[in-house]
Amino acid sequence: MRCLLKLLAVLFLGCFTASALTAHTQAKLILSLQTARAGDSVLAGIHLQMEPAWHTYWKNSGASGIPTTLAWTLPAGIKAGPVQWPVPEKLPPDDFTTYVYQNEVVLLVPLQISPEAKAGVAGIKVHVEWLECKEACVPGSADLLASLNLGAEQAASPDAPLFAAWQKRLPESSSKLVAHAAWEKPAVGDLRPLVIEWSGAGIGEPDFYPLGSDAFEVQGETERLLSSGGLFRLRKQVKRFSGDWPAKISGLLVLKTPTGIVAYETDLSSAPLAPVANPSATPEPAVSLTQPLWKMLLYAFLGGLILNAMPCVLPVIALKILGFVREARSDPRHVRKLGWVYALGVLVSFLSLAGVVIAVQAAGHKAGWGMQFSNAQFTVGLTVLVTLVALNLFGLFEVNPGSRVLGTAGNLAAQSGLAGAFFNGVLATILATPCTAPFLGAALGFAFAQPVPIILLMFAAVAAGLAAPYVVLSWKPAWLRFLPKPGAWMEHFKIAMGFPMLATALWLLNLTTIHYGDRSWWLGIFLVMMSAAAWIWGTFVQRGSAQRGLAVVIVILFMAGGYFGILEAQLHWRSSPDSASDTRVLAHAPEGYAWSPWSPEAVAKARAEGRPVVVDFTAKWCLTCNLSVAPAFASKSVVEQLQKLNAVALVADYTLYPAQITAELARFQRSGVPLVLIYPRDSAKPPEVLPEPLPYPASYIPVLLGALERAVR
Amino acid sequence: MKQLLTLVATLALVGTAFAAEIGKPAPDFTGTDIRGRTIKLADFKGRIVVLEASNSDCPFCANHLKTGALQELQKEFIAKGVVWLMVNSVNPRNSSHRTPEQARAEWDQKKLNATAWIDDSSGAIGKLYGLKTTPHMIVIAADGTVAYSGALDDRPAPFGDPRTARNYVREAVTQLLAGQRVLVSQTKPYGCAVHY
Repeated sequence: MRCLLKLLAVLFLGCFTASALTAHTQAKLILSLQTARAGDSVLAGIHLQMEPAWHTYWKNSGASGIPTTLAWTLPAGIKAGPVQWPVPEKLPPDDFTTYVYQNEVVLLVPLQISPEAKAGVAGIKVHVEWLECKEACVPGSADLLASLNLGAEQAASPDAPLFAAWQKRLPESSSKLVAHAAWEKPAVGDLRPLVIEWSGAGIGEPDFYPLGSDAFEVQGETERLLSSGGLFRLRKQVKRFSGDWPAKISGLLVLKTPTGIVAYETDLSSAPLAPVANPSATPEPAVSLTQPLWKMLLYAFLGGLILNAMPCVLPVIALKILGFVREARSDPRHVRKLGWVYALGVLVSFLSLAGVVIAVQAAGHKAGWGMQFSNAQFTVGLTVLVTLVALNLFGLFEVNPGSRVLGTAGNLAAQSGLAGAFFNGVLATILATPCTAPFLGAALGFAFAQPVPIILLMFAAVAAGLAAPYVVLSWKPAWLRFLPKPGAWMEHFKIAMGFPMLATALWLLNLTTIHYGDRSWWLGIFLVMMSAAAWIWGTFVQRGSAQRGLAVVIVILFMAGGYFGILEAQLHWRSSPDSASDTRVLAHAPEGYAWSPWSPEAVAKARAEGRPVVVDFTAKWCLTCNLSVAPAFASKSVVEQLQKLNAVALVADYTLYPAQITAELARFQRSGVPLVLIYPRDSAKPPEVLPEPLPYPASYIPVLLGALERAVR
Repeated sequence: MKQLLTLVATLALVGTAFAAEIGKPAPDFTGTDIRGRTIKLADFKGRIVVLEASNSDCPFCANHLKTGALQELQKEFIAKGVVWLMVNSVNPRNSSHRTPEQARAEWDQKKLNATAWIDDSSGAIGKLYGLKTTPHMIVIAADGTVAYSGALDDRPAPFGDPRTARNYVREAVTQLLAGQRVLVSQTKPYGCAVHY
């Protein structure tokens, strides 16, 4: 009753005014032009301003509510077109989704003025009905009036900027992209899963806002299957109320980006993967996108296993072997436990990585394998850590038995602690990330485009592969019998392993030049100071007896001086480093042939000319790329072949993780480099994705030669 | 594996959201009405039962009540031996919640003709039947199977005269009484959220 009274009051007040205020929504009729000419098209706007937390509804209100309706009363010679609805907000929860406007909205309606319209003042009237809801709902309505001058000269209205702003929030035409929809499988009861896929620009969270229908309902919940590389795929459940399963489903393809929301109006034919719009713009077919999960899990496991043999991981592995030699003759239960703890360290690290990947994707960005190396501070931290491990192996200092943070080598002399085994696992994982092994690229490329549980599962499978040899050896230490008995050789071996570790540190130091350029030299100086401090610590604090206090003071002075005087004052290690300029793109190109920077246009141009195209996706931090792919491309036989075929060679530099290249990698279901593509001379054929190389020089030359031959067949 | 996960998720979804599946036995429930009587669905075996998710503060329900159309339909059905159970699942913290005392006053003031108004403020019955909106309607056939689920009519509006609309519930009940098959057995319910 109270509502009714309010409503009556509103109707009374609202009659024939330009604006009306109900309980929680103010409605106003605005026009884009103050004066229009005969034959013009004018935009009318219904400006609804809602109180905080109140909302009105989109043309499909969703599970509850009703769309706002308009009824026009127009003078002869003026016709109203259909309502143009700005992109709404999707209001949770999933099982009761509504599509609404909060705060304010301008519903746009084109008014067409006939060429015969006479000059004068035209009264534009509209009756608006809406439902406004917060917790409870209140119906609202208003009769709104505006006058439009018809004259010889156009004159914009003061509301013109508002129109411009709201026109930007209308969905765009789907001719800008290619979309498909397909029933995934037969219905279960009245529910049937529909997979919607489209390709388009932008990075963010994809969604589909359906238009309403009496016969079926596209439910609110969205399962995001893929959102990378300009390819978006999601699963919606369709509930059928009556009739056949719909052959056409209309709605908005939506992409929520960090800066706003983009939407495309589309009609999806739910025939199996039929293109619905602009088929000429279909991107080249990427590799098959659906792989059975078991196969990918197997790949992930094998990839993890092979990672053990990668140069990034080898030093840690050698240390692990040492640990086994020492422990093999002690309590077997303890050895087994160490094996499991090591595996746990690997697993926890991989799941943390998966967590980072998921978080990065949830934030609307793309994630990639090895992307942490595009973070300057991470690289600096890792350089320092690996240097310390190397010094520890050299015996410069011990890790206190009480605090086994750097347990790798120190524990070999003492008891192999659980913390040490765990840390070993963590270190192995961190050092493994700049390498990708065969199988791993395909597996991770698959994983990165999957829902959260699958990402976790895939990373766990890689972890299982990486840890498997130690778990097995810890159960069967007898298999290590071929190794000599523990003795003095272990100390020598330990020191010897310090050198590959030092080489790793040097490689990491070199990586920091990506971010700091010549200033990286100061990091080297800092490492020297830190080494000196480590030596003083080991010799005079840990092993010395006299003057311990003085030694501690000197260590602190060295470290503080190094940190503040060098890392802070010279390296500016915390400041966000200069981003890459395009001029450096070719820095990592193989030698011996004319390589150009990669771009989709460059590929298209070369293919149009009928030339085969080679694309080398590489990065400075990618060990496999630089040890295997680049030398293979630079080898005499491959260069000659490239010249003979008049091939176009393009290099895509992934060092700083540019979005465009992440997108292109994702199109081929890869999450990182290396990736080599060879586009055949026949431009109708899809590119060949070359297998992943082992990170050892020369192994890749026959692979390249074979693929180049196929490209011109 | 993925398929399995999807299947499990789908089944879970089906299990929760569509407990009242057309053609399947209607799940039994026991509730208390605003006069303190115990209402058990099984007690009405052999009769057609209409469940109405109700909340008179919802503008859609309010319009059906204000115009008297809903009361007329209730009266018409009761006269034909149909059981009409209003199920009010609004939680007690919501301003639209009615204590039994308030509900009895409203019953008199609005001249309701239902068989009973069940106080379902726990939401148990509403969730059991997957009632989505007010007014979401369920029709249970005399044999105890769900015959209809969805909107009251084809006119989702808080204004105007509901008598001009196509009333799906009347159609379903009429067809059941005539021993015919229910032609439209499922529609999309409209209205307000239930406020569980």
